[in-house]
Amino acid sequence: MKKKVLATVLSAAMAVSMMAGCGQKAAEPAAAPATEAAAPAAEPAPAPEPEPAPEPEPAATEEAAAEPAEEPAAAATEGEYTAGTPFSGITAKEAYKFPIDVKSFQSTYWQAALAGMDIAKAELGVDYDAHGPNSESDIADQVNMLNSDINSNPPGIGLAACDTSSVLDSLQTCADKGIPVVCFDTGVADAPEGSVVCTVATDNAQAGEVAADNMYAALADVIANAEGQVRIGEINQDATALNIQQRGLGFINEMIALIQADGKTVSVEGNEFYVNAAEGADSGDTDVVIEVQVPAQTTVELCSAQAQAILSKADTIGVFGSNQTAAEGLLAADANLSLLGSDPEAGDVIGVGFDAGSIIKGAVASGQMYGAVTQSPLMMGYYTLYALTAAANGDPVEDYPTDGYWYDASNIDDPTIAPNLYD
Amino acid sequence: MTKKKNKLLSDQRFIVLLVIAALIIIYMIFSPEFRQYSSILSMLDFSYYDVLMAIGVTFPLITAGVDLSIGTGMVCYALLAGSLIRNQHVPVGVAMLVCVLLGCIVGMVNGLLIAVMNLPPFLATLCTCMITRGIGSMSSAVPWPTTQQDGGWFHSIFKLTFGTGRSALKIPIGFILVVALVILMEFVLNHTKFGRYTIAIGSNKEAVILSGINVKFYHVMAYVICGLFAGLAAIAYAAVVPTVQPGTGAGLELDAIGGVFVGGVSATGGYGSVLGTLAGVFVIVLLKTGLPYVGLQANWQQIITGAVLIAAVLIDVIKRRRAAKAQ
Repeated sequence: MKKKVLATVLSAAMAVSMMAGCGQKAAEPAAAPATEAAAPAAEPAPAPEPEPAPEPEPAATEEAAAEPAEEPAAAATEGEYTAGTPFSGITAKEAYKFPIDVKSFQSTYWQAALAGMDIAKAELGVDYDAHGPNSESDIADQVNMLNSDINSNPPGIGLAACDTSSVLDSLQTCADKGIPVVCFDTGVADAPEGSVVCTVATDNAQAGEVAADNMYAALADVIANAEGQVRIGEINQDATALNIQQRGLGFINEMIALIQADGKTVSVEGNEFYVNAAEGADSGDTDVVIEVQVPAQTTVELCSAQAQAILSKADTIGVFGSNQTAAEGLLAADANLSLLGSDPEAGDVIGVGFDAGSIIKGAVASGQMYGAVTQSPLMMGYYTLYALTAAANGDPVEDYPTDGYWYDASNIDDPTIAPNLYD
Repeated sequence: MTKKKNKLLSDQRFIVLLVIAALIIIYMIFSPEFRQYSSILSMLDFSYYDVLMAIGVTFPLITAGVDLSIGTGMVCYALLAGSLIRNQHVPVGVAMLVCVLLGCIVGMVNGLLIAVMNLPPFLATLCTCMITRGIGSMSSAVPWPTTQQDGGWFHSIFKLTFGTGRSALKIPIGFILVVALVILMEFVLNHTKFGRYTIAIGSNKEAVILSGINVKFYHVMAYVICGLFAGLAAIAYAAVVPTVQPGTGAGLELDAIGGVFVGGVSATGGYGSVLGTLAGVFVIVLLKTGLPYVGLQANWQQIITGAVLIAAVLIDVIKRRRAAKAQ
């Protein structure tokens, strides 16, 4: 009897943990069947410049971001977002169902991406099923989920890889089986031939440059008039994910170029990967030091410890947190220091963040954080489903980069920015 | 006199205090920034939840068990209570009680699985670790109220702030609170029936059963106490982390458990002290938050923390061998 009870309890516990612990969030069934079934796909438009995505009605899209499952189609006029993009005129030949592997459901960023997919699925009459590990550090869990998806022979897979090198074997299987993969948010640089058909991702190097341009605009006079060495910090949550690498290096390389263009010298120190990958840095005793730190794990508390160590240095004039976790770590570090602000001449350290979330938005609105760069997760999710549908139709698809946009206290409520600022 | 001196030197808590002093001196020599008051404040801010988790998990560890669910549990309670504040507009005080209540419930489930159903502690708490992590993942990221928002008063449990901006005076009263809790639980461990039976269960469970004591009750209570402190840790965690992120928390229990072992709790149970736990956790916290000040990269921080843990457990093993030889 005792054994039976024990077995029942164990089974129940494991079943609950499997259901809950795998972090799967099944998508709602397609809101409506395709109204224009099996229409031939239009010729892909010429590759556009990576221009800002057409902006949706702000109020409607904010609602969609907050309530992903509720009537996404109401957010836009059908096809409004695809006008002028390579995805214009695409329709689904079948009611496809695509597995989508996100990095995790840790941040509201991914929920905004799924909200974009909801809009696209209603327009296309396709469906998706989203999976994600518990945290972005759970690389092996994501690889397992991806392999399970491959085994079901789907018409295509959407993938935001936690670790780009860990998915290479799985991508080779996709290539062998002829399953098209659309990478979103994060590209896989060394993907096997024929596996990844296109990447829909922020141009992370450009986004990092936007952060550097705006930070330098605030700090140029401080750097020009500095009597001794000054320090600019950068907190990256890791040195393995391609998007963080590109974003971090985009910031570093642009900052090096800007500082050197004004006749000052600049060196890079800290994490080995970023130090070695930085381009054009000077060596020796330079006017400016860019210090790059990476925590042992992708947690706010460890990002905060790294940020605290940089902020505490008397010569620090600016710090960039290159994603939501790093930016929140920077704000947590400032809780006891109160050094961040918007007036560098008054001794404020210029803090620049990335992405959104209510804490970062609040800090930007109050001026504690000078500004931040936001991506467009909503549109990234939206275009991913269009790219998958085109690939499943057998049509050619190509990479589609989306831009990073600067926001600060002056434009945080701007209708062209606000829809991208999720809570 | 020499005997007393030898006894003091062989007490792991004394060695740990020396390690803490050595770490602080090294940091202060190599990093002028570490000498700032704000650095100590930040270190304390991020220590409270570790200390609270460690106080609780000291009890299961002394019974020769373990509780792996405290890290994910802590985050899960903070997420669920935070969701209540944000979505249901529940007062912060009630949300704090919810944290403690959830902790006690999960602790009781752990205790029942281990003491009544005889599941191995590692397996039972691994299951509840997965369950709490999964339940936590169902929620979205939740910021608890900031100091400026309604309900932000709970921050003053851990830190009193007078004034604003850089000139604000900040007093880390959370440290006094956790020290008081450590003293209370040290008393409970050494001077109450519950505490003595907890030690006895870890030392020789069979003997305790044969002496007619209700072992199951006291064994379950050790895990309930552990859960209660995980609930308190959830409040401290929500006070210091800007946004409580779903899916996180795994691994945080290891900082607490590591601290308990560094503080001298025997790896095989039956011996330990809550005062030692406090000292041991501060070694871990100093390594976690202090090493970035001296410019050590993240990988080295983990290597050094692991090496310190090995040293702490080795001291325990050597002490046991010596005691066995002396007998």
